Amino acid sequence: MNCPVSVCQSTEQPIISVRDVTMAFPIAKRYRELLLHPFRPRRVKTALAGASLRVQRGDRIAIMGPNGAGKTTLLKLIGGLLLPTEGDIVVNGFSTLVQNSAARKSVGFVLNEERSFFWRLTAVQNLEFFGALDNLWGVDLRDRIRELIHLVGLEEADEQLFSTYSSGMKQRLALARGLIAEPEVLILDEPTRALDPIACDELTELIMSRIHNGSRKTLLIATHRLEEAMKLCNKVAIVDKGRLKAFDCIADLTADGITLAQYYRRSLAMEKHDYVVA
Amino acid sequence: MITLLRKACAFVQRDFRIESGYKASFFMTIFQSMSLLVFFYFLGKLITPRNSAALSGFGGRYFPFAIIGLAFARYFDLTLKMFSESIRSAQVTGCLEAMLSTQTGCVSVVLMSSLYALISGAVQLLVILVAGVLAFGVDLSRMNVPATLLVLVLSIAIFVAFGVLSAATVVWLKRGDPITWILGGFSGVLGGAYFPIDVMPAWMQKVSLVIPITYSLDALRLTMLKGYSVILVAKPVAILVAIAVILMPASIALFAAAVRNGRKEGTLMQY
Repeated sequence: MNCPVSVCQSTEQPIISVRDVTMAFPIAKRYRELLLHPFRPRRVKTALAGASLRVQRGDRIAIMGPNGAGKTTLLKLIGGLLLPTEGDIVVNGFSTLVQNSAARKSVGFVLNEERSFFWRLTAVQNLEFFGALDNLWGVDLRDRIRELIHLVGLEEADEQLFSTYSSGMKQRLALARGLIAEPEVLILDEPTRALDPIACDELTELIMSRIHNGSRKTLLIATHRLEEAMKLCNKVAIVDKGRLKAFDCIADLTADGITLAQYYRRSLAMEKHDYVVA
Repeated sequence: MITLLRKACAFVQRDFRIESGYKASFFMTIFQSMSLLVFFYFLGKLITPRNSAALSGFGGRYFPFAIIGLAFARYFDLTLKMFSESIRSAQVTGCLEAMLSTQTGCVSVVLMSSLYALISGAVQLLVILVAGVLAFGVDLSRMNVPATLLVLVLSIAIFVAFGVLSAATVVWLKRGDPITWILGGFSGVLGGAYFPIDVMPAWMQKVSLVIPITYSLDALRLTMLKGYSVILVAKPVAILVAIAVILMPASIALFAAAVRNGRKEGTLMQY
């Protein structure tokens, strides 16, 4: 079950390399602490400890784990939104610590936060704005927006204000925004979290049919849904209590007769970080 | 450079589209400015050149003195606050993370997020000045336009720098911004926005000498009301240049450091 597994291994240069990364968030001092020990360093909460991961171009990885396990932290670190306390992350040859903006160029982030859009702008106006921040303008930007609106199936509602959108439509638009700069790596942080089962299936289907198909786009998807992971991904990483507990190819698990649910439970039950990660 | 200009246009267009949904707010601000103009106009009628020697250096009349102080002090105050407000608003609405996940750096995002406020504030400033001239008979016919523009640009640069410093403290402290509190709270009074600093006690005059707005308003009044050239306002201009040269790069460096620290500690999106 543990990597390296032959199918997982590749001689190709990884598109994402996470090397022994720790992310510790300082905890603000309380008044009492501030008065009694003003010069004592702040305590920290370690969200991720010693994580290492190599992601090959075209991999579709499900990042799974309980709430608060460190999945979003890992994704934000790879996306360059956070800088690691220790270790290094290299995305498409650029370190997020040293060449943050160059590393971010390869990454599209699909945030699950619906407030991350401007509610008084239409879908197209939102995409125009975020497209400009991704260095697209004029005819190129308009064409790209038209293409993406079609891709996510929002043609009928593209001139509607974002505030009038349903949760499913908002998530589709978030997907379009993540894809606007044609990133090589697409990060989706629990894309179906706020969706009803039908909208959830529709979004999964959309990612399957229109984003996967024929592309070598690398996908990293944080999800709690085993079915979604099975449908969308070829590898799965399990994160728990800030530790990367397992990383395997789904096909190998299936070949060994292990269901993803069994794998998930077993990985969480393991106490130590005793895996060699591919 | 063209890339930056295009991005700047995108920010202005975004804010214009959003603000055009709140037209009443713009007109209310104009109305508020007009009511202040009326207040100062009638106050000015009580103060004649004979009973105020402190005004003699600025043409002797109170209302023109006050209208320049009012218009520019409000504009500088807006410049000071707009960066911290824009970053805080982006943090609260959740848009900051989305903007930072694009190919635009945090410093650019914050600077350009405030462009619309800068332009909108300039329109309000112009409206106050035009109303002052047309409706209340303020005489700006002697204004030295190049000198006024130079002083204005330098002053904006300084207040932008203070604004960026203020944004850095918002990134760092979240709430409680000492820069806006100190400069915004005292500049109007100690900087001589509504009355000449000569009428203040000696110790207050000394304090006013360390506030940049003192030099800005002084130079603006002289260039706008008396038509002084750059040479005649060389002293305040030199002081403004010195402050701008030191403060601009320092504020941007400190802001970038605050952002980097926020990224390292994971507090950038917290509010």
